[in-house]
Amino acid sequence: MLKRGVADYLPLKAAWLHILLALAEGSRHGYAIRASVDARSEGRVRLWPATLYGSIRDMVAEGLIEEVAGESAPDDDPRRRYYDLTVFGREVLRAEVGRLARLVDAARAAHVVVEA
Amino acid sequence: MDVMPVRAATRVYGVAVRLLPDAFRARYGRELEFDFREIVLRAHMRRGVPGVIGATLGGVRDVLLSVMRERGRGGGTSETRELGQPVRGRRPQPGEAVMQWMTELRQAARALARRPGFTTAAVLTLGLGIGANVAIFAVVDAVLIRPLPYPESDAITLITHHAPGLNLPDLENSEGTLQFYRERANSFSAVARVETTEGNLTGLDRPARIAVAEVSPNIFDVLRTEPWLGRRFQPEDAVTAGPPRTAILTEQGWQTRFARDPDVVGRVIVLDGQPVEIVGVMPDGFRFPQPETELLVAREVDPNGRFGAFGIMGLARLKPGVPVEAAHREVNALQAHFGEVEADLSPAFLEQAQWTAKVERLRDAQVKDVRTALWIVFGAVGFVLLIASANVANLFLVRAEARHREIALRAAIGAGRRRLAWLFLSESLLLGAAGGAAGIAVAALAVDALVANGPRQLPRLHEVAVDARTMLFAIVVSLLVGTMFGLLAMLRYVRPGTGLVARESRGDTGSRERHMVRHALIAAQVALALVLLVGSGLMLRSFDRLRSVNPGFQPDGLLSIGVSVGGDRARSAPIYREILREAASLPGVRSAGLINAMPLTPSGLNGGSFDIESRPTPDGMIPPTSMWSVASHGLFEAMRIPLISGRMMEPRDSETPTNTAWVNQTFAKRHFPDGDALGQRIRLDGQTWLTIAGIVGDVRTFGMDEELSPMVYLPLSTTQPSTSIAVMNLAVRADVRMEAILPSIRSIIARVAPDAPITTARMMDEVVAESMAGTSFTMVVLGIAALVSLLLGAIGLYGVITYVVAQRTREIGVRVALGAAPGRVMQMVVRQGLIVVGIGLAIGIAAAFALTRLMESILFEVSARDPLTFVVVVAVLAGVSLAASYLPARRAALLSPLEALRTE
Repeated sequence: MLKRGVADYLPLKAAWLHILLALAEGSRHGYAIRASVDARSEGRVRLWPATLYGSIRDMVAEGLIEEVAGESAPDDDPRRRYYDLTVFGREVLRAEVGRLARLVDAARAAHVVVEA
Repeated sequence: MDVMPVRAATRVYGVAVRLLPDAFRARYGRELEFDFREIVLRAHMRRGVPGVIGATLGGVRDVLLSVMRERGRGGGTSETRELGQPVRGRRPQPGEAVMQWMTELRQAARALARRPGFTTAAVLTLGLGIGANVAIFAVVDAVLIRPLPYPESDAITLITHHAPGLNLPDLENSEGTLQFYRERANSFSAVARVETTEGNLTGLDRPARIAVAEVSPNIFDVLRTEPWLGRRFQPEDAVTAGPPRTAILTEQGWQTRFARDPDVVGRVIVLDGQPVEIVGVMPDGFRFPQPETELLVAREVDPNGRFGAFGIMGLARLKPGVPVEAAHREVNALQAHFGEVEADLSPAFLEQAQWTAKVERLRDAQVKDVRTALWIVFGAVGFVLLIASANVANLFLVRAEARHREIALRAAIGAGRRRLAWLFLSESLLLGAAGGAAGIAVAALAVDALVANGPRQLPRLHEVAVDARTMLFAIVVSLLVGTMFGLLAMLRYVRPGTGLVARESRGDTGSRERHMVRHALIAAQVALALVLLVGSGLMLRSFDRLRSVNPGFQPDGLLSIGVSVGGDRARSAPIYREILREAASLPGVRSAGLINAMPLTPSGLNGGSFDIESRPTPDGMIPPTSMWSVASHGLFEAMRIPLISGRMMEPRDSETPTNTAWVNQTFAKRHFPDGDALGQRIRLDGQTWLTIAGIVGDVRTFGMDEELSPMVYLPLSTTQPSTSIAVMNLAVRADVRMEAILPSIRSIIARVAPDAPITTARMMDEVVAESMAGTSFTMVVLGIAALVSLLLGAIGLYGVITYVVAQRTREIGVRVALGAAPGRVMQMVVRQGLIVVGIGLAIGIAAAFALTRLMESILFEVSARDPLTFVVVVAVLAGVSLAASYLPARRAALLSPLEALRTE
């Protein structure tokens, strides 16, 4: 399978960025990803299941994330699958965040006041 | 176990998930459902049931979007999308999914076109069924559901009073009560006075008697509708006594009398001999208080008006935020204070009279009489649609069965379950849509016919039309119907095992469950048909009872012509007598007479309290009340009202006051139970004492199904103040045909009273028929529905039995070849059919028992559980079912065994 370069994935789809960010903190299963995204965006971004798993499937296919064996939390169903960033996924995430940071710098240079 | 809303939501989501591609679902399905359950649980915790609903909608929407996305990416079987293949190579074409569906629809259309017989039959049946439903929905929508055509019409209320203790169930208002509420009721922002009357309009090319409404100027505040030409009434325009001075035309009046002349404002017309200035014209479509009202004139509530003279309509607008129930309570509480203004209406009197007041929304007051009948009719046509749909569903299933092999083949080469399902669904949706289109056409025709010929009792009939809401209803119904067939076929034929059934086993007749759906449909049809037949049977018997009610007079051969000479007794009475004299001497006329209030059309009646000389009313008791009318000699003879005792009216009674009166039997029995009414003296409204000179038979004054009321007949010469001879009806009984007599009578009137318009000219048997129009309309609609359902049910049953027999032809052939008697074979087939019918009958009887109770208010002298009707209906249905099963069974039995065995 021809692996593409990191740059080929930029700019990253919004949903993928959120998922990668959520996994940056550690491996999670699907619902936990949703909850993390929900919390971080203060409820503005909702990843409903079908869309979420569609993205997960694609990201796995692209090698950005992978399934891992998970230590399930006590109240979780042990059959759940857990996901984590691959090395490649981490690189892509870093590249995208860097791109966004450069954008913010450019905006500041143009005297655009960036809302925190 | 989760709570109910959560369980329901997860089940709905589970169904939606099945739409996702198989591979995706296989891999992530479980997590999808887990996650959704978490979401719903949290939503329920935070926001309760609305949260659950929101979450379910969000989840289903998400699934549907994903489905579209997947299809757009390159539909077909999703097994080709292996993991690891680059995703971003191909952008999904937005039009692709749509194009795919279009192709499938086109295929479905072609498949339907290949079987024109089936398709035509199905579309016609559905078209009729849907059309009938859409038409009745148009009526129900316009009459019962839509608000009145005034802004914020829910705030417009009607105030009425009721005194059953005085035998006066429906009193409207008096000047006194209106003034009272204006001063003291806080619930209303405006209380208006409305009185419908008629007036003679002269000065135009022909004198005409038109419908007039006397309204107070604030009626425009109550209705929130202004004239569009000219201006509204100002307080100074209105009179409180005497003839009105200003008028406003309605569309009806403007169109009919002035041909929409734009310069009509400012013109002066002559109404009842007095000049009236036209100050405005109402907008088109304004039909208040009646569709035939042509003129509004300004008359204000007389602050010194009598408190006890009722008969004025009181219309009031609620203040914003005041519910009608609050107004009702306030008005009822105010009744106790009547005594402060009018001593006679003390609380003690009110209690004796069982006096109450009612405040209800105007729309409710208008439609309450027809509400039940309309909903019943709506239900009936709904049943017919169900039956028709069941028939088409059966046909559809037969076709699906015939394509068994084709389906198996498709499944074998890899068509997913969804595609097979879509195969059926696309055909059935097309059928539904075609049926809907045909239905709209049928409905448009039916609505036109209804508006033109509908029963006049139907209020707001002129507002009925096929409009956007009706079309929406038609679309929804068509979609539902179409989806139902498709689902039925899908459930039967698209299941995991289908792909394996490539070969049909010969002689496979044991699969009883193959016929279960069809049998269930037949049973349902029989049950529905039974309910409809019972309903229409009950209406038929009601109508029959109504027709056999004795109206009290002989309507056949009786002509009634209304003439309006005027209320001035001294001037009018001689004119009426002359008209009568000339009419009675026309060749062919047996007898003729005059009366100011014909039966079954009680306009012109007056009534009030009276005294009996020999039995004065004790102090503190309410005096008795009665209605009275003015009649001439010859009336009782012309109407064939029998004379019970005493003498008939003679010409001398019509000429000079003889201080006599005639009473009907109800009056005599009620007030003189010892039978000594003749010769007694009574005094109406405290005027002169009258001697009872004769007792005549009772006549149905108000309606064929109303109770008989006491009646006093005063001779034409009477000077009783509270009577009016402004309009008198000439009742003529003749040997010749009425069409021959009418022109002669018209010319007599034109000669003797040239300025007097003729108000009506009708045959009394038509009037009697019209008074039963409401019942007969319902009966006719239900009857048609029942007959259609019977026909459809019979066809359906015939079809199913034929089909089943065809399936079992081989089996039958084998049995006959082995020596079974044809008769026994027939019995076997027929018995199976009759068992299904029997189940349907049982369900139908139970349903009919429960449902006909809803009809009780429109039945007349028939019980909702009338045993005769039930027995007859069951017998008819059983007989028809027997016939429908017998024919195909007979054919089967007569087949030669060789033929049967040769059949595939």
